[in-house]
Amino acid sequence: MLILSIDIEKSLPEFKLKVAFQLDQEIMAVLGPSGCGKTMTLKCIAGLMVPDQGSIILDERVLFHSEQGVNLPARERKIAFLFQNYALFPHLTVCENIAFGIRQLPLAERDERVQKLLRKMRLHGLGHRYPADLSGGQQQRVALARALAPEPKVLLLDEPFSALDTQVKERLEAELLELQEDFQGHVLFVTHNLAEAYRLSSKMAVYDNGVLLQWGECRSIIERPVNKKVARMTGMDNIFSGIVSKIEGCRLEVQLDTGHLHLYMDYPGGLVVNQEISIAIRPEYIQVADSQEDNCLGAELLSCTEELSFFKCVFRLQDQVQVKVHLAKISEQVLVPGQSYHLRFPPEKLVVIGPHLQNFHVKKGHIKASACI
Amino acid sequence: MTAMDLDPLWISLKTALTATAITFILGIFTARWMSQHEFKGKSLLDGIFILPLVLPPTVVGFLLLWLLGRNTWLGSIFFAIGRPVVFSWSATVIAAVVVAFPLMYQTARGAFEQIDTNIEDAARTLGASEQTVFWRITMPIAWPGIAAGTILAFARSLGEFGATLMLAGNIPGRTQTIPVAIYFLVESGKKQQAMIWVLVILLISFFSIAALSFWTKYQRRFSHRPAREVSADS
Repeated sequence: MLILSIDIEKSLPEFKLKVAFQLDQEIMAVLGPSGCGKTMTLKCIAGLMVPDQGSIILDERVLFHSEQGVNLPARERKIAFLFQNYALFPHLTVCENIAFGIRQLPLAERDERVQKLLRKMRLHGLGHRYPADLSGGQQQRVALARALAPEPKVLLLDEPFSALDTQVKERLEAELLELQEDFQGHVLFVTHNLAEAYRLSSKMAVYDNGVLLQWGECRSIIERPVNKKVARMTGMDNIFSGIVSKIEGCRLEVQLDTGHLHLYMDYPGGLVVNQEISIAIRPEYIQVADSQEDNCLGAELLSCTEELSFFKCVFRLQDQVQVKVHLAKISEQVLVPGQSYHLRFPPEKLVVIGPHLQNFHVKKGHIKASACI
Repeated sequence: MTAMDLDPLWISLKTALTATAITFILGIFTARWMSQHEFKGKSLLDGIFILPLVLPPTVVGFLLLWLLGRNTWLGSIFFAIGRPVVFSWSATVIAAVVVAFPLMYQTARGAFEQIDTNIEDAARTLGASEQTVFWRITMPIAWPGIAAGTILAFARSLGEFGATLMLAGNIPGRTQTIPVAIYFLVESGKKQQAMIWVLVILLISFFSIAALSFWTKYQRRFSHRPAREVSADS
């Protein structure tokens, strides 16, 4: 099985990293705020830092194993690392930079591969320039070409797009996705940008302060966060606590803590009546209903800000709880702050937050839900 | 001027070049080691390395005289093998190395520490051994700084006077360097002969500074400009 498996621990003064996850030959994003140990993980995988404990196994080859006493030096790991600041060799030309990792190859073969990468990365004509004479995007592509030249098994990217402007960034993202199609290996990239992680990767690992909170398929993390921290980090802004008041077949009725409000949702299983739970919904799933409909709550609009592609509204339920709602611009409704509206919470979009629910099959199908305010 | 009169020039050049070569290797080695290791008392050791730069040369000379004299085990070894260091040509080299070392060490360490560690790490992930990293990446990038340090060390060892006089004395044809010769010529009223040596020193120093500015320009060529964005980029 071609799997990159990481299970490591490393302690620094006032910081501890403890993570374990696996990835196939796919793109995985490591998401988290700065200083949470994302880059450290990459450096441990590349062999630039030594974990205190654990193992790193690449396609059945042991790169690091504390118990077996294995620790391959970085130069033997065949892992490419794309640094945030590119880390190009300033005293070498673009060609020489790219050729650095394949200097043991015969000259003709080396030249051929360098030329191929120059073409692929749209760097033709720049081969004899020095890195200082290139733009940020060009430097980024040279760094990528240099990393790919030795045909690595793993590509590690440390915040690859953070220093670039939107246009350059979009093009590079497209290139990365294109690259993935003929790159036979594992790609792990670090970012603090949720949208970027979601767009580019198939799996995600969410970090906070050295701890791996959750990892898995992007969609499952976005839709089924295991705790409130992951929910907040992945933009699931509306989190309510409450208790299970009724379970009817595959319908769950939740009484919110702060008042006598009830919401219905799809029953994910594994719950009992009177259990305390947190439920959450992403701001883009809440609708403003014309009239009192199923699963609606009355709310007063506090503010409405126009964003690039949606309206960002904040509502207040009758028990002072605030609800964030993103409304599509296509809606013709004109919302006036201070007015009262009905907010509809689609039952299938409400989720129960909790680690014990991660493996439950989510029952689909229409459930009739009614509001009871 | 007779052939004899040129002795101070040859002694000075021989001393300065030998001292520079020793300082070069010693300074780079120490600087690299210090920039890669963290330990308790590092700043104290750093201070000791820099000390000859701030001490009066006579004090350095006095300490060396004591260290290499009969009264310490180090000095007595040299006496025992019949080659005392004190008042020999090697004394001029030792004095020059000690005073020039801080300049080489400091500039080289600055040059090493300025290098982005990611660049060296990038080379490691591309299959480079530690030796390859040092010779193909670290040294070329640090080279402008190291060259500047070497020139400074050369100039400093060429001009060394106080410690040399204390440790090596003023033996014409053996330990009398140009600066020492100038001092004794002026003291015995031979101003014109002193002037010739002054001009020689001025000339050598001028070339050293010219070389230094050449390296500074060379350095600018490699300066790692921050990544800039170009909208029409390709």
